Amino acid sequence: MRLSRIFTMAWENMKQRKARTTLTTLGVVVGITAIISLASLGEGFRLEIRDRMQSGFELDNLTVIPGSLFAGLSPDRFSDETVQAISNISGVKTATGVMQLGNVTLYNGNKEPVQAFVATAVNFTEFTQVFPDRFVFENETLLKYTNDTIIIGYKVNHPNENVTEPFAIANDAINLTFGLLQRAPFPHMEYQNYTFVVGGTLQKRGTPGITNFDYWIFIPLETARTIFARSESDLVFAKVYRSEDSERIAKDVEALFPPFKVTILVPLTFIKQVDNILNIVQVFLMAIASISLLVAGIGIMNIMTVSVMERTREIGILKAIGAKSRTVLSIFLAEAVLIGLMGGFIGMFTGYGLSFGLAQVLSSFIQPQQGTVLQNPERQQMTISPIFSPQWTAIAFIFAVVICIIFGLYPARKASKLNPVEALRYE
Amino acid sequence: MTPILEVRNIRKGYKLGKIQVPALRGITFNVNQGEFLAIFGPSGSGKSTLLHLMGGLDRPDEGEILIDGSNLQDLHDNELAELRLKKIGFVFQFFNLLPRLTALRNVELPLTVAGLPEKEALEKAEEMLKLMGLEARVDHKPSELSGGEQQRVAMARALINDPKIVLADEPTGNLDTKTGWELVELMRKLNKEKGQTFVMITHDPHIAETADHMIHLRDGLIEGTKETPRRNEQ
Repeated sequence: MRLSRIFTMAWENMKQRKARTTLTTLGVVVGITAIISLASLGEGFRLEIRDRMQSGFELDNLTVIPGSLFAGLSPDRFSDETVQAISNISGVKTATGVMQLGNVTLYNGNKEPVQAFVATAVNFTEFTQVFPDRFVFENETLLKYTNDTIIIGYKVNHPNENVTEPFAIANDAINLTFGLLQRAPFPHMEYQNYTFVVGGTLQKRGTPGITNFDYWIFIPLETARTIFARSESDLVFAKVYRSEDSERIAKDVEALFPPFKVTILVPLTFIKQVDNILNIVQVFLMAIASISLLVAGIGIMNIMTVSVMERTREIGILKAIGAKSRTVLSIFLAEAVLIGLMGGFIGMFTGYGLSFGLAQVLSSFIQPQQGTVLQNPERQQMTISPIFSPQWTAIAFIFAVVICIIFGLYPARKASKLNPVEALRYE
Repeated sequence: MTPILEVRNIRKGYKLGKIQVPALRGITFNVNQGEFLAIFGPSGSGKSTLLHLMGGLDRPDEGEILIDGSNLQDLHDNELAELRLKKIGFVFQFFNLLPRLTALRNVELPLTVAGLPEKEALEKAEEMLKLMGLEARVDHKPSELSGGEQQRVAMARALINDPKIVLADEPTGNLDTKTGWELVELMRKLNKEKGQTFVMITHDPHIAETADHMIHLRDGLIEGTKETPRRNEQ
């Protein structure tokens, strides 16, 4: 029997029992809707998170810190030659060494003095190259770059949220004292003030990540080297050309040092891990959604078993006029396939619709917590927009048809195995 | 003359609960090409069982059935289906038409099953219905047809694949006397004009009389056979 005729016959049968067909198909529709909406929302959610983490972590940056967290932090520091060696690694755009100066207190005339917890000595030119998106000034450019230039982070400059007036503006003269820990080896520093001129104040970034400059102040590296009489850096920041290379470059950097002498923070690795976890969560969600399709499959099996019973006589007639078991099987299976196709097709659209609806609802519910890496100053609200991947849609569609076939197989086989004499006698 | 159907020492029993009930207890006869055979007997005599066995719908416990030279015992279920499709036409007491299909679609069904293109199948089916005098009823569903008309549609369906033999199980059993006779007339006409072989089961002795040849079945055994002189025989 021709395939096209088998399907027309199956279709005619289904039309005969409209309510039943509709309800059976509805089960498949719900299953596919669940899978597609969960897949697209999960994907949208994952991308939103990844996007936020990328802007929080700056994927093309590596941070090299001395020592190892577990093998012991090392007192070793990085010489200029080492920093140069890092910047010479292929794929590295710029590497810059910084000195960490602990916490400092800033005085600006009669104003209430402020504390900065992270005072850093940097090469401003290189630093701007490494953090072009983060080291951004309120008035666009660094006003001057001399030995007594100081750059002030946003939170240092605005210690009180309610006070709009900043602590300092450009060209203010600032007196600075170093914290106890830094000045300990230098007894003469205890009562010593260092005077700097504000060369710029930083914009509010708010993204914590590894480097949140809001709480930082910066002075020139050369000046700090003179004050503390040393020429080594405590940290090296490196910017790479392509973030995909960052893991390879990290290995190359590691190879410059003896084992366990440095730790390299690679944001890409971290994001990959999170992405991986989100992936697993998504697969898990899909598995749950698939259960609804499984239930639909059982519905199909149920309905078709009843249908086979009702049509026993018809099956007998078909067999009497010479239909092979295979033909009877295909007629019933064709119904299951048609239900799968219809349900899958409708479910695709309802799935798309539901995803957009759910995205709206979810977006208004989920708000990133303050002070987490997911926070983004430009996008306070999480906006989850569903992402439809053709693969997932195709997989869901095929899954629907396959489920229908699997669950249709039992009743269809039952129909095909009917004894024609008994089937004809069936009332 | 070579027999188109050979039935050799057929036995068949049924299980009713735990009791084995014999339906056929050794039946042997031949049907020749172009013959019109009536199998006559009261209900419970094993007529329908015999017909089902001859049509390859069921298998005997013992004995052999040959149709057009092929032994049904040697055929798989699929081959039996193929044989039913190509060489056997069935007519049933309760018509057994598919209620949701039109007369035309019902008649066309065996051609569809055989894989004929739809257009060709419909043309052939329409022609066959015309031959049965049902050209005005082509697009009617069985529920819109009288019993006689339904049985003629069933007859058209049985003949559509040009079978070697038509097996009719009480074809007049569900028709009033007049319509029943009309159907028998039609069968005899097809038998004579087209040389179509018929095996008809009936419990009506008058109808059985019209056949060339009659087998009287009782309690699963052949009680007697009878040649009837062909009417209008030259």
